[in-house]
Amino acid sequence: MPEQLPIHVIIAAYNEAPVIAQVLAEIKATVDCPVIVIDDGSTDQTAHLAKRAGAVVVQHPVNRGAGAACMTGITLARQQNWSCVVFMDADGQHLPKDIMAIYQTYRETSADLVIGSRFSKTKNEIPWLRRRFNGLANGLTNLFCRGSYSDTQSGFRLLGKRAIESIDLVQDDFSYCSEMIIQADREQLKIAECPIHVQYTEYSISKGQDFQVGLTTAFQFLWKIMFR
Amino acid sequence: MSMDFRLFQWLIPAIAILFLVNQLLRYRRGRINLGEALFVSGLWMVVSLLAIFPDLISGYIAQLLGIKSNANAVLFIGTGCLFYFQYRLYRIQVQQRRIITMLTRKIALDGYEEEQDV
Repeated sequence: MPEQLPIHVIIAAYNEAPVIAQVLAEIKATVDCPVIVIDDGSTDQTAHLAKRAGAVVVQHPVNRGAGAACMTGITLARQQNWSCVVFMDADGQHLPKDIMAIYQTYRETSADLVIGSRFSKTKNEIPWLRRRFNGLANGLTNLFCRGSYSDTQSGFRLLGKRAIESIDLVQDDFSYCSEMIIQADREQLKIAECPIHVQYTEYSISKGQDFQVGLTTAFQFLWKIMFR
Repeated sequence: MSMDFRLFQWLIPAIAILFLVNQLLRYRRGRINLGEALFVSGLWMVVSLLAIFPDLISGYIAQLLGIKSNANAVLFIGTGCLFYFQYRLYRIQVQQRRIITMLTRKIALDGYEEEQDV
């Protein structure tokens, strides 16, 4: 029996037709809560398959990037007065069982933002290059924060009411991960980390950030901070 | 000082005058604000002056920057101007991308509301 949780799961998806149905089925089998897919202008069957799998689909007419899709999810949560949302990646790298873990951390710590960390305690097999990239991104993000976070690029996050109300992302690309943490830190929101598991498949590695995208993102992020 | 005018020394100012008049007309019609009109007019005036007195101005700039060659000074200033315009273009691009994202979000959320109403 899936566990009932007072949360909404939001998944930003772009051209995830090969895996979206399976990802949603696994979530539905693990937790009993509404699942919303923000389809970021996919050109494949992502939206159709997500609807068929029982998710509520919010469709961007054109592709705007992971950050833009995430902010659409936050805006929706704000409009609907939801108190707690969990963001997950659509490529199947995150395990639905960790939704319970991240919610547990939220309850125990009363944090406004809980980051699912791939590098905290759990032993995950993460490709070498991705590990290096994450180290670089962590260093860069932590420079602008009071706290120090072990996985600033994780897409697995829980936002409580205060975070939903106060976070306002302007970065459309993957640098939203850092932006969200920096904003939460500046707004003096309570940030906690929760160890999570990841399963990298050939498919999930082909999606998301690679080293080159990471470097570009880092450059754009610094540029935007300097010339905002 | 003898002024031996070459073709570009009267052609560029003539073009600049056309653009200046155009800017003034656009400002009078309310299509641009005073700041924009002054900026573009100033730019064309500088271009005209550079065309009329190329050696004098480039020599002055070279002296001011401590560069021996006039041509290098002009290249240096030109590169600086290009960077500045690149920055302005970048700002415009960022603003437009933001507007497109906001529009996209509004369309998506309106669609969601409509679906919920049905």
